[in-house]
Formats: sequence, structure tokens, C-alpha cells
Amino acid sequence: MKDMSQIANAVETGTNKISARDVNVFYGDSQAIKGVDVEISNNTVTAFIGPSGCGKSTFLRCLNRMNDTIDICRVTGTIRLDGEDIYDKRVDPVQLRAKVGMVFQKPNPFPKSIYDNVAYGPRIHGLARSKSDLDEVVERALRRGAIWNEVKDRLYAPGTGLSGGQQQRLCIARAVATEPEVLLMDEPCSALDPIATAQVEELIDELRENFAVVIVTHSMQQAARVSQNTAFFHLGELVEYGETGQIFTNPQDPRTESYITGRIG
Amino acid sequence: MQEQHIASAFDRDLETIQARIMKMGGLVEAAIMDSARSLETRDEELAEQVRANDKAIDALEEMINEEAARVIAMRAPTASDLRLILSVTKISGNLERIGDHAKNLAKRNSVLSQMPPVGDSPSALRRMAREVERMLKDALDAYIQRDVELAAVVIQRDHDVDQMYNTLFRELLTFMMEDARNITPCMHLHFIAKNIERMGDHVTSIAEQVIYLVSGERPEDNRPKADVTSVSL
Repeated sequence: MKDMSQIANAVETGTNKISARDVNVFYGDSQAIKGVDVEISNNTVTAFIGPSGCGKSTFLRCLNRMNDTIDICRVTGTIRLDGEDIYDKRVDPVQLRAKVGMVFQKPNPFPKSIYDNVAYGPRIHGLARSKSDLDEVVERALRRGAIWNEVKDRLYAPGTGLSGGQQQRLCIARAVATEPEVLLMDEPCSALDPIATAQVEELIDELRENFAVVIVTHSMQQAARVSQNTAFFHLGELVEYGETGQIFTNPQDPRTESYITGRIG
Repeated sequence: MQEQHIASAFDRDLETIQARIMKMGGLVEAAIMDSARSLETRDEELAEQVRANDKAIDALEEMINEEAARVIAMRAPTASDLRLILSVTKISGNLERIGDHAKNLAKRNSVLSQMPPVGDSPSALRRMAREVERMLKDALDAYIQRDVELAAVVIQRDHDVDQMYNTLFRELLTFMMEDARNITPCMHLHFIAKNIERMGDHVTSIAEQVIYLVSGERPEDNRPKADVTSVSL
């Protein structure tokens, strides 16, 4: 028994990538996040689970300052990426979002060709010097998105013509094209069928080699399948955060237990 | 007990499985007592009944395992639900083994009742069997009540059963040395004692499952090993 948990813990999880301290988020007068402390490791998939409205997506959006776009939203506390405060005045949110990429619930390719979808980020961030450079960047991103083989013969066809699962992998390819360090995923599989879901999950596991991945999911089975660490949010609080195996076999907080076993709590 | 699941069918599945465990436990308790009583009273009919009843115990074990597999496949249990399913499969296995030992005991009865009695070991064996049966009852109570303390007491009590076995072992050895004609019945009696001692080990394992079910931790295996016959001359 001890040996097993040692093996489980020995899953290659990297050094600390993001550390959040006493993060509070307010939408106007109402508080959505209450004093959350969390450490996100590099080369690790971290899952955020919890019932609707528990604040998990709100917290995720703090990690690349997506909440800046909402006027009434106010964030306090500190969030450090590699030791640097991302809410510091000198930090350009656009640059930050190139480092901390995001994939959304519904696949949202630009109404452009597959190639241009992926090339968009590298172009505006000046990551390629020549056409052949850009071609390489696009191919690498599509390969990382595990969709290269399906689209290599029609790179100039519209991205919106792909199937839902392919579109989502295209969006992942687009997100990784700017060479981010962290990838945030907000329910990336909720609009996908089980096969496409399995492909995206496999992809997430591969992406872990190069990135820290943070995924918000409503599917607890998905959290159990893809993540190494799981955080359970409830009513804006981080209730429990631990190794995924431990959370799903022996949660320490009764609220976590109630939620993951499907009880009213 | 715990709060209800949102999916009430899940609760019904778990209740059904637990009801079967309790039914199985009741049959096994009866098997222990009946087999020991048949030994003491040389009641071959009762012994035959114990052997026949074992089929019902085996059938229940199979049913429990099938239902547990179904719940795993269809409900993907987690946390305490997962531990419940894991523990019922183990407990049903332990109960089935105890039933087998009782059956084995009953089988030897029919041989023993053809021979002249040796000493009063059958009543000592019955005392030992009663202690095991009480331990089983407490272990199953601890299971239903989720009572870790009671389970821990049951684990400690296995020590007494082991001591009783040691005493019987020495006693039977003396009988065999006294008179070679005692060897056959004493060998049978010794196997019976060993059967009962093994039942105690299975009860201990059930009590350990209770601790795992409630706490999520396996109890440390530091209880004293009182069966010394394997290492002493």
C-alpha cells in the first residue's frame, strides 16, 4: 500500500510554476473567490473540479488575466509565474497571454484557413522571421496538437470546416504555437464526443512534457484520467488540493467526499 | 449512515450488496456453530447439513462479486464508495473461506464419529469455534456500524484463538505419543483445530477491511503472532 502511493507520487511532476497567495476575486460586491492559495507544478496536469459557480473558471481566468476584460471584476492577492507577479503594472497582459495560453469550452477557430489560425499568434508576436520559419512553426504546432496528419493536405481550407474534435485540437495547436509555458483549458472536451475526448485527453498527457497544464472540468472521471493533481473548489473556496489518486480514493474533507461520490452536500 | 447519493439507484445497488454480505455473514456464523456442535454431539445429520449449506454461501459470494463488478463498471465509484466496493469483495472472499473451513470440519466429523473419542478436545474445539463465531459477529457489527474501535478489538482477540490452538496442538501431540492408535483421530482433530484457527485469521482480515473502509488506511500489521507451532519443536 505504501509502495503504491510512493509510485503514484513519483509520477514526474515538475518544479513549481505558478504560485497563488490569498487570491480574492470580486464581481462588483459579490466575492467569487475567497483567499485561494495554490501551487501549480510544471510538467503537470492540474485539474480544477467543483460544482457550477464554485469559482474554478474564475480562478483559471485569473492565471492569464482574462478577468481584466471584465470591468466590474477586481482581483486581490498575488499570483506569481516563475516568481514574477503577473499583476505587476509593468506586465503586459498580451505578452502574458502568449506565455499562458488558453483553450475554451467550445472550439472557436478564426474564420480563416487552418494555416492562418495557427500562424496568427506567431505572426503578431513576431516569432517567425520568414515564410519557411513560419511554415515550421505551424507544422510543429499542428503536430503537437495531434492533428497534423489529418490536415496536412488541406492547410488552406477553412478551420471552421473541420469536425468538432478536430476544431478543438486545432485550437490547442493555435494555443501552443506561441510557445507558451502554461496552458489553461476551460472544459476543453465538454462539446466533444467520447472519441474526440479521448484524443484530446491523450494530447493533454503529451503536452505535459512541455507545459504546465491547468484544466477545468465538470467530468470527475476526466479529472481522474488526465491529471496528477486535483483541486476541489466549493463556494469560492479551495477546499482540498492534492495528488489526484488520493483525492479520488481517500479525500480528507467531507465536502470533497460528498461531491466526488455524487452526494448532496 | 452517510448522506444519500443524488442517483438513488446507486444507493439501492450498494444497499443490496451490503444486505447480501449480512446474509452471507449470518449463514457463515451458523455454519461455524453447527459444525462445532456436530463435532461435540457426533451429530452426522447436522454435519451433513453444514456441508449442504455451504453451497448457498458460495452462491452468495458469486452474486456479490458480480454485483460489485457491475457497480464498478456502471457507477465508477470513488472515495468511500470505492472503498466499500473493494471491501465487500474481500469480505465476501473471507466469508466464503470461513464457510469452506466449516465444511471441512463437518467432513472430518463423519470420519471421527466412527472412532472412539480421545480426551475432551471436541469441547475445547467448540469453545474455540464459539470464540471465532463471536469475533465474526462483532466484525460484521463493526462493519455495519463503521466502528473502527470494535474492529481493532476483534483483531486483538485473534490472539486468544491462536493461544487456544497452541494448547490444543500440544495436547493432541501428547495423546499421540501416549498411544499410536490415537494418531488417526488426533490428526483429524488437529486439522479441525487448524481450520478454526484459520477462520480466526479470516475474521481478522474482515476487521481490517472495516478499518480500511472507514479510514482509508490499512492497519499496520504489528499484531503479535501467537500461533507458535510452526516455529517451535
